Amino acid sequence: MGPRNPQLADGATALKAGDIEDGVRLTLLGLESAHGLREKTAALSNLCAGYMLLGQVDDSLEYCDRAIAVNDRNWRAYNNRALVYMELERYEEAEADVIRGQELAPRAKSLKVVKGMLLDETNPVSPNIIIDDRREPYDDEG
Amino acid sequence: MMMKASALTILLLAGASLSAEETSITRLVDEVGDRVPSHTVVPIYPEDARRDRIEGEVQVCYDVDVKGRPYRVAVRQSTNRIFERPSMRAIKASLYVPLDPGEKTSGIKTCRTFRFQLQPLVDDN
Repeated sequence: MGPRNPQLADGATALKAGDIEDGVRLTLLGLESAHGLREKTAALSNLCAGYMLLGQVDDSLEYCDRAIAVNDRNWRAYNNRALVYMELERYEEAEADVIRGQELAPRAKSLKVVKGMLLDETNPVSPNIIIDDRREPYDDEG
Repeated sequence: MMMKASALTILLLAGASLSAEETSITRLVDEVGDRVPSHTVVPIYPEDARRDRIEGEVQVCYDVDVKGRPYRVAVRQSTNRIFERPSMRAIKASLYVPLDPGEKTSGIKTCRTFRFQLQPLVDDN
């Protein structure tokens, strides 16, 4: 048996392969015939990602909002919407989505990456490495 | 078998915005050690640690042969394992001034401590 919603599956494959326009087109078709919460959530979340990759931020945000409205436990939608908010420089909302996403999926690497990106925007740091060759113990670094 | 519909995350964008800032280096030395560094390799600040705002410290101890090459390199103390590998690599790639013929040393192991810190970026504007 093939996929239950072939357009949705093909759309995801196209998006992953970098064929974004085709991926969005197929996913929109897949959304029309989506059955159940899981398919609908996946379609909306993938459209959020697809439109973001196309640079259509407002469309992306709309689909992220819809994905979360349909299923508020979808951490990928929070991850994607956080990126959309960052693009829009709405950093507090981005942070709230990262926090919510990490509550749902504490070990998700993509959320850690997004959190790092957000910190780089709001609280940038630069590395400093101290190389201490002193043999005697010192109380301070002078 | 039925295929599940998969949801995506926008990972492509994640890589694009991560910019590695230049690492600043601070050297602390005293006159007690009997081997003189000639080439000091600075460890790389692990990207995951920088991303997650992790700081830490690693002390590495080792012997230095007559040609100035570190050997028997081992971590003596560490606050986070994420910093151990870059610290070991840096030591193994570093060099000391070779001993003169017949020159003796105390035989005490040489130790170097790396402190990995993150500083707020100052806006010059």
